[in-house]
Amino acid sequence: MRKIFSSRTIVLLMIGFLVVVGLIAGSNWWSKKTNNPPFFQRVVNDLTGGAAKVISIPTNAVGTRANSLANLLNTFSENKALKAKVDGYAQNKVKLQTVEEENQSLKKQLDLKKSLTDYETLSAVTTSRSPTTWNSQLVIDKGAKSGVKKGMAVLGDSGIIGLVTEVNTVNSKVTLISDTSEDTNRIAITVKGGSGDTNGIVTDYDADKKMLVMSSIANSANVNKGDTVVTSGLGGLVPSGLLVGKISEVTSDSYGLSKKIYIEPSSDLSKIATVLVAKSSMES
Amino acid sequence: MAGWQFIRFQFIFPIILLILFLVDGNLAASLGFLMKEPIHAMPMLTFTWLFYAIQFGVQKEIPYYSYVVIFGVLFDIFYTGILGTYTVAFLLATIVMDRLRPYFDERMMSGLLLLLIGQIVYLLVTFVAGQLIGSANLSILSFVVYLVLPTAAFNLIMAAIFYFPAWSLFQRLV
Repeated sequence: MRKIFSSRTIVLLMIGFLVVVGLIAGSNWWSKKTNNPPFFQRVVNDLTGGAAKVISIPTNAVGTRANSLANLLNTFSENKALKAKVDGYAQNKVKLQTVEEENQSLKKQLDLKKSLTDYETLSAVTTSRSPTTWNSQLVIDKGAKSGVKKGMAVLGDSGIIGLVTEVNTVNSKVTLISDTSEDTNRIAITVKGGSGDTNGIVTDYDADKKMLVMSSIANSANVNKGDTVVTSGLGGLVPSGLLVGKISEVTSDSYGLSKKIYIEPSSDLSKIATVLVAKSSMES
Repeated sequence: MAGWQFIRFQFIFPIILLILFLVDGNLAASLGFLMKEPIHAMPMLTFTWLFYAIQFGVQKEIPYYSYVVIFGVLFDIFYTGILGTYTVAFLLATIVMDRLRPYFDERMMSGLLLLLIGQIVYLLVTFVAGQLIGSANLSILSFVVYLVLPTAAFNLIMAAIFYFPAWSLFQRLV
């Protein structure tokens, strides 16, 4: 009988397979466990990140032109809708300023220096986005040198878009909320319902529906379609009150014992040219 | 081939590979329409450059598979932080294209078909690796419709646009 592979090739193939599986599983486990990547990986990341920043100048320019051209097509109808909204916002802004001042003075009276809602932002430019099947990650041009830490929240144009998952010296990686890995998007959230808040964590991202999932909610909890979802600020470095999205569907789990909600993210994950890293003032 | 030309090609091939490796990430970030939900089209220009080398028969003139492994590792470190997946994806897909190349003729369309086969192998490896570490909770149908089809379409168009410029560049250098 003719052999397809020699015995030597078979042994090599088997060893190769085991090494590769070990590498994938091992480095996946390691990256979750540590705050900083190994030295070699860090050096490669810093060097490549520098080169990527140079390359990003012309490609970003081309990308911006292409995007503005696409935007131009629906400008008219968008403008009409936005004009209607602007008046409402002006009023809200004044209200917000008054409430903020009041909040400041009340905090002073209580001798409360920092609370969960206090955070500073650090703006960063996206140098690249991983052109990969899974692991929706961004590389931003701010790292440990600028005070970025693993676990910090990253904001897009309207709300949270992800968490910092790897910090190098001059750049860092942000895992987007659309990442489908098992435990990357566990953000502590609060559903702002009509009658009281419901706390919990994001348990999953449904890649088919393109929505965040929060499960194991008590049946008695009052959560409805359209309710706003914000970060709760409990645990970790994510400040409280960052917009996550809106509830688009409320279902019960397969046994009917608890509720499961689907949250439509508020921010557009395809517009991420610049982002803000939220540095919570209350670091736990 | 003159000696100096050979040396020149030895340098230019990996430099272009490095530039395209970085451009891939930049395009994914700057061209919003590529990754607008639910579509997830990923630029694979690095892979297309590796395909050109096979298509125009220059892979034997250079340490081709060393470059494939080096850029696979770089891809893993820089874009995912998880080692192994893309090294294997690049390696397996290029080996498949290299082995199948003798059965295809010289026309551009045959070349693009070869590239499509390579792309499918590449994407399949990443799908399997994703299943392995629990990253992939996407159904196979969504994977094909929203990821494989737009990715293949975008990259085949790019490969067709740059096919003849790349061909003349290889002719001049080798």
